[in-house]
Amino acid sequence: MRRFHYFLKDRLAAVSLAIISITVIAGIFAPWIAPNDPEEVHMELRFASASWEYLLGNDHLGRCVLSRLIYGIRPSVLWVLAALVASVGIGAIIGFIAGYFRGRIDAFLMRICDVMLSFPGYVMTLAIIGILGVGLENILLAFVLMKWAWFARIIRTSVMAYAESEYVKFSKVLGMGSLRIMRKHILPVSLPDIAVTSSSAYSSMVLQLSGFSFLGLGIQAPHAEWGMMLNEAREVMFSRPEMMLAPGITTILFVTAVNFFTDSLQVALDPKLGISGKKRQGRPDSVAGRIQRNEVA
Amino acid sequence: MVKKQVVPFLVLVVTALWLAGCSNSANSEKESSANSAASSSARDELVYSTAKDINDMNPHLYAGSMPAQGIVYESLVENTAEGIKPLLAESWDISEDGKLYTFHLRQNVTFHDGEPFNAEAVKLNFDAVQSNASKHAWIKLSSMLTETKVIDEYTVQLVLSEPYYPTLLELSMTRPYVFLSPKDFIDGETKDGVNGFDGTGPYKLTDHKTDQYAVFEANERYWNGAPKLKKITAKVLPAGETTFLALQKGEVDFVFTDDRGADSIDVEAMNKLAESGGFQIVRSEPMNTKMIVANSSKQDSPAADAAVRKALWHSIDRETISEAIFSGTESAADTLFSSNVNYANVELEKREYDIELAKKLLEENGWAGEGIREKDGRKLTMSLYYDVNSSSQKAQAEMIQNAAKNIGIQLELFGEESTSIANRRTTGDYDLLFNQTWGLAYDPQSTIASFTSDAAYRHTTSGIPEAEELYRKIGEVMVSSDEETRKALYQDILSIVHDEAVFIPLTNGSVTVVAPKDLQGISFKQTQFELPFEQMSFSR
Amino acid sequence: MGRYIFKRGLISVPLLLVVSFLTFILNSLSPMDPAEVVLHAQGVPRITDELLEETRLALGLDRPLLVRYWNWFLSCLRLDFGDSYVTGKPVWSLLGPAFLNTLKLTIVSVVAIIILSIALGVLCALREGKLLDKSIRGISFFLTAMPSYLLASLLVLYFSVKLDLLPTNGMDTIGSYILPVTVITISYAGIYFRVVRSSMLSNLNEDYVLYGRACGLPERKITRRILRNSLQVAVSVFCMAIPIILGSTVVVENIFAWPGLGTLSVNSILSRDFPIIQAYVLVLAASFVIVNTFSDMINAWVNPKLREDG
Repeated sequence: MRRFHYFLKDRLAAVSLAIISITVIAGIFAPWIAPNDPEEVHMELRFASASWEYLLGNDHLGRCVLSRLIYGIRPSVLWVLAALVASVGIGAIIGFIAGYFRGRIDAFLMRICDVMLSFPGYVMTLAIIGILGVGLENILLAFVLMKWAWFARIIRTSVMAYAESEYVKFSKVLGMGSLRIMRKHILPVSLPDIAVTSSSAYSSMVLQLSGFSFLGLGIQAPHAEWGMMLNEAREVMFSRPEMMLAPGITTILFVTAVNFFTDSLQVALDPKLGISGKKRQGRPDSVAGRIQRNEVA
Repeated sequence: MVKKQVVPFLVLVVTALWLAGCSNSANSEKESSANSAASSSARDELVYSTAKDINDMNPHLYAGSMPAQGIVYESLVENTAEGIKPLLAESWDISEDGKLYTFHLRQNVTFHDGEPFNAEAVKLNFDAVQSNASKHAWIKLSSMLTETKVIDEYTVQLVLSEPYYPTLLELSMTRPYVFLSPKDFIDGETKDGVNGFDGTGPYKLTDHKTDQYAVFEANERYWNGAPKLKKITAKVLPAGETTFLALQKGEVDFVFTDDRGADSIDVEAMNKLAESGGFQIVRSEPMNTKMIVANSSKQDSPAADAAVRKALWHSIDRETISEAIFSGTESAADTLFSSNVNYANVELEKREYDIELAKKLLEENGWAGEGIREKDGRKLTMSLYYDVNSSSQKAQAEMIQNAAKNIGIQLELFGEESTSIANRRTTGDYDLLFNQTWGLAYDPQSTIASFTSDAAYRHTTSGIPEAEELYRKIGEVMVSSDEETRKALYQDILSIVHDEAVFIPLTNGSVTVVAPKDLQGISFKQTQFELPFEQMSFSR
Repeated sequence: MGRYIFKRGLISVPLLLVVSFLTFILNSLSPMDPAEVVLHAQGVPRITDELLEETRLALGLDRPLLVRYWNWFLSCLRLDFGDSYVTGKPVWSLLGPAFLNTLKLTIVSVVAIIILSIALGVLCALREGKLLDKSIRGISFFLTAMPSYLLASLLVLYFSVKLDLLPTNGMDTIGSYILPVTVITISYAGIYFRVVRSSMLSNLNEDYVLYGRACGLPERKITRRILRNSLQVAVSVFCMAIPIILGSTVVVENIFAWPGLGTLSVNSILSRDFPIIQAYVLVLAASFVIVNTFSDMINAWVNPKLREDG
């Protein structure tokens, strides 16, 4: 808990957390917050600039940009979050089993992970979409399929490190069931590492989804989504460059917030990376480093 | 302390990068002026951008880029606004029964590799095409042509199994009945590939780097006089801002609507270019019709209900689409074929943009309810497929979806690749999809013939009550030799299709060309897939 | 050490086998009939059932899956990946040049990333907590949050059109490398420099630094030790950057019309050109595996403790 206290003291982290929370809440309550119907076409209002009724102006079909931005939170942010949770969940289960039980199970699971990790990520997602067809569900499915192995690996490393700790050994001797040990002893300490990894993976997933929608392979029209809005704005980039501002700035702002959040989380959890310099006992310091090393997926 | 070592290192890095940047830009200046044809020296070169590589230029197959094949190869006759005109054949006779076509070939024509063009070459080419007939099922001439006879060195005779009035028209098409030098054949055939791409046309292919560029140079010995533009380069650039920026910078000077009717740059941006000087925009007359195709044969789909199709037709505001989405570059279309198409000048009832009428039609036919209508427990929901690479289709789809919602129809939109859409059309796995007619030279006969073809519009048309009659009439009109009968048959065919509203027309597309201001002689052919580059030149 | 290399090498082969097999199966999952794909790609305007049958036989699609896979794999070992469905040309004739082009882009980018990351990482670690550190980190967060197409479009608009310094597209001159490399570098350096930074930070706080100073060792020697240790970690990261970037250049290649793997892979996937897709995945997976093994070997050589790891 003290760590969390440090965390909040860092103003930047607090601001980032605020931005992220506001965005998520806005996305959940979109129908109540958005001023207009995001799909209502008003051809006479094409490219209109900001007005009292349409706070951020209208897009190429006369639809309210602000409303689309708000509704767009759902696929761009919330659904990606869901995919992240699913992916981390699967990865965590596999990572825990492999890291805790080791031996042959570990070797077998890691082989599978190796296979999954050998596929070039971005393009395999593209391939899965090419085969299953376009659409948000398929992209998210592809994300989950491609990413779980990576989480599994990292979590396994973390679990392996902790499973060697004294208190775990004591618990085993005392006859505590494996599941209980994992739940009560290992999970709480590895949670920070999992959080940091997930957080950094999250920003790359949001950007990737944006990229796919940009290529036209994401959510289907006429639903709103940030990457798709950027795609539509790109069409008129030279005659109306201002159309790229709203979705562009929103995306950048949100992902930046997530990046700052990740960084602050990391600092809070491993103070060596911060200003104080005390080395921590018994905790393999290479784990955080290894996480960072592998975070570029 | 450590500062002392890090700082000089950084200075070194920055300096190195800066130097690299400077020398590179100096290099690129020199090289770009050598590469780009827009440099001021010799104004007899043109660079145009294309989204796809020119591909396999085998004239007897279909993978190659049509504008490219159009300047390298030639056919016996040419289709012009005034009808069929001689090209490689100077004159021809048609027998009484319409089954024998005798062509008198132009003399002193040679292929790019020096081989003479004569009746023997014609026979070899046609035989090569015919031996691959299964690939040419779309062009009926391939199933009608039984033999090609060499009468003498410059006279050749085609023997048909039945009189087929569009013969000359089909011979004039960009492919497959065009001529390749016999020396390029492999074992006397072309279906498995060719050794070279020597045609008789005004340009020859001299360089090709896949997915980068292709270079065509003027054929100095062209029978109709060497073209003034000596070098044409086709540069492969993705559509959108890359092309626009290249145009602005002068790396590319020429852009035109591609095979799929998609303009590579946004209309407003094009206009800006034209205004800022240096560029002109030329637009052809309407070449094709873009429409929504409804699957009348899908049993449980609302698209099988004529009332639904007609209601949808009435709910589309074509004028707004034409002005807002296309900025006026495409005109609203109310019929499948515009009146300048052969045999299509037929009186057909115009369905106005009328929301109330649309609602009434649905009500009267049992589709009732607030919100999404229902009939016999089925919801009025349909899927609409569009080409994900076409932003105009997407915008239209979104607009139409919104309009349909207002009359109680729910449309689900799906953007897919064009191969996927073509697949859906073949299998009949769709309710509605975007499509376009083949265009001037091919309309109406090829498009209409495709009504019966599985790969094209069979599913679209087979659900209507008069389907049998429709197919019969189509079969008849192809072999009819009498102009009057043909006119009457086409009238019937077009009326049936119009009444049933299986093809919901949207706009008429044309070919748009963006070219340097001082380029003259820009004109269009009777097909949207070729451009007469040999007639263009730069004014002094 | 030799045993370790051998063990790693041994694992790689079945790995590649499994990867390629899965890709093969993935392709068969596609609802589209490959024969139809070929015909559509060839632009044949009207496809009849006989034509489909002909094409299927010509492609050998009537034989069972495993047989086809095995034949394909064997021919891959001879670098014969079959013929593209779309163009009919041998896959390698398309994949080879594209691979080379993207490789050139990747290597130049990675070099730039290494230089930039090390420079910034060291700088920030030394100025840790101060304004410089915070601002560089902030800027890097901002820049990596930018979707690459946005960044690329802005750069092209500014440098290429307004200032007319650089070409907008293509691979013709040395100058045409600058913008794509810049976009890639900015996107990735922001992430990598933090690795260097955190590695340096952990090392700066190590005991040996304290001891070294207490013993009166010259600062230079200590700094060198620190750098050496920090960079060891970074080396394996940078190694992995090569295959990662190799597979992620899709958007950049699209905007800059770079004739490389990104363009090729997207086009093949969208046009269902299975032979190219298969070969592409195989080649990329192979490069992943090779570089991965290589970087693990470096790690193991440097840090013998890791050799026992699975």
